[in-house]
Amino acid sequence: MKTTFEEKDGKYVMHFEGRLDTAASVQTEQEMKVLHNCEGHDIILDCAQLDYISSSGLRLFLALLKIAKAKGSKVCVAGMNDNLRQVFAMTGFTHLFEFV
Amino acid sequence: MNTMQSPHTAELMDAYRAELPQLEKLAEQASNLLQTALHEQNIQLNAFQCRVKTEESLVGKLEKKGHKYQTIYDITDLVGIRVVTYYTDDVDKVAVIAKQIFDIDWKNSVDKRKHQLNSFGYLSLHYICYMKEGPLRNIPFEIQMRTALQHVWSAIEHDIGYKGAVKLPPEFVRQFSRLAGMLEMADDEFSRLRTTMTDYRRQVQSLVKSGHFSEVSLSTDSFRQFLELHPFDRLNQRIAAVNQAEIYPAPIMLMMQYLTVFESFRFQNLGDVQKFIEENSEGAYQLALSQLAITDLDILSESVGLQNLCLVYVIKQGGGLYGIKAVYDAVNGEQASNTALAENILRLAQQLPFMHKL
Repeated sequence: MKTTFEEKDGKYVMHFEGRLDTAASVQTEQEMKVLHNCEGHDIILDCAQLDYISSSGLRLFLALLKIAKAKGSKVCVAGMNDNLRQVFAMTGFTHLFEFV
Repeated sequence: MNTMQSPHTAELMDAYRAELPQLEKLAEQASNLLQTALHEQNIQLNAFQCRVKTEESLVGKLEKKGHKYQTIYDITDLVGIRVVTYYTDDVDKVAVIAKQIFDIDWKNSVDKRKHQLNSFGYLSLHYICYMKEGPLRNIPFEIQMRTALQHVWSAIEHDIGYKGAVKLPPEFVRQFSRLAGMLEMADDEFSRLRTTMTDYRRQVQSLVKSGHFSEVSLSTDSFRQFLELHPFDRLNQRIAAVNQAEIYPAPIMLMMQYLTVFESFRFQNLGDVQKFIEENSEGAYQLALSQLAITDLDILSESVGLQNLCLVYVIKQGGGLYGIKAVYDAVNGEQASNTALAENILRLAQQLPFMHKL
């Protein structure tokens, strides 16, 4: 699992690559902390290269959403494949994120 | 000092400057006291303003009618508080509260709402008050109480410059009167609407609590009350048990979005919703099970039961791919990927027992 962070057009973008499973979630949680200082920046979670997301991954996204919302930032999920979308749909979390 | 001022005005201005720190202290104490009391009584305000009269404004006032005042404290609005409510009823409530926490100088207090019956009847209620105790209790201050519409009226009147006009042509007087009448009527209607809505909510609440669902029309209010009974909890818990999942609370706004879906189902009352839950819970469980059992997903949104109920209902009604996508569109917003989600649900549903009972 690999993440890359960049600031693009005033937005915080994190690219995810590989499998976001329980084993990878501890390291990914640390790496996502850079997104917590998001005042004034919307966040894009680029999942185009993400192959799998587990409950641990979902929890990371939900935790980030809570922090971002409190700071007035929007969280968009980009490039998610149909399998990942189904994970969000079957758990009932699709409505919480904006998918682009 | 302005050399054009009369000796009397200059004397009053000197007194004002000397008393300014006291006036500022009074403004702070009186407004804190009033704001706390209004907050405790849960009165919603459009605005709360407090000011100490500026030197410039006071000079203007003294130049016009300085002869009326012997001492600086004959001027009763050196400290002014303005309370702007949304509803006319609340102006009276604010007045009652002011009476409780301050001493009122009734001789100088005016209910302008009653004074101007032949013209507008559309002005504020003004009280001249004193603190009940403490070192500032001898300094008068003014509280103006009005509704938001009265406030708008006053602001426009000020802008047009009507207030000072000695004589207006009759056609303008008539136009002003018509507008004032309209605003006054709007104020009364808003108050009446609030009372009626409150009665309606109480009635809905009581019907929902007593379980008379079919007597309660489906509306934002009634569905909100219905959700307080946690009608989807049993189904959610059953679905969560599949993977011993944690249930993550769904924002109320999301749950309310399902009202649009219910409208498309042509549900009329909460009885229809209750029947929908009873008749589709087993199918919804089967559908959720078929998706979740092959995963290790152990976190679910509180909306998961309701979502599956809607999907099963649509399938049973023969809504097909279009109907399923319409549910996703209504809840998640229209997205191209909703088609793929709908296709997957339709494929899974073909294998489920509830489909074979149709």
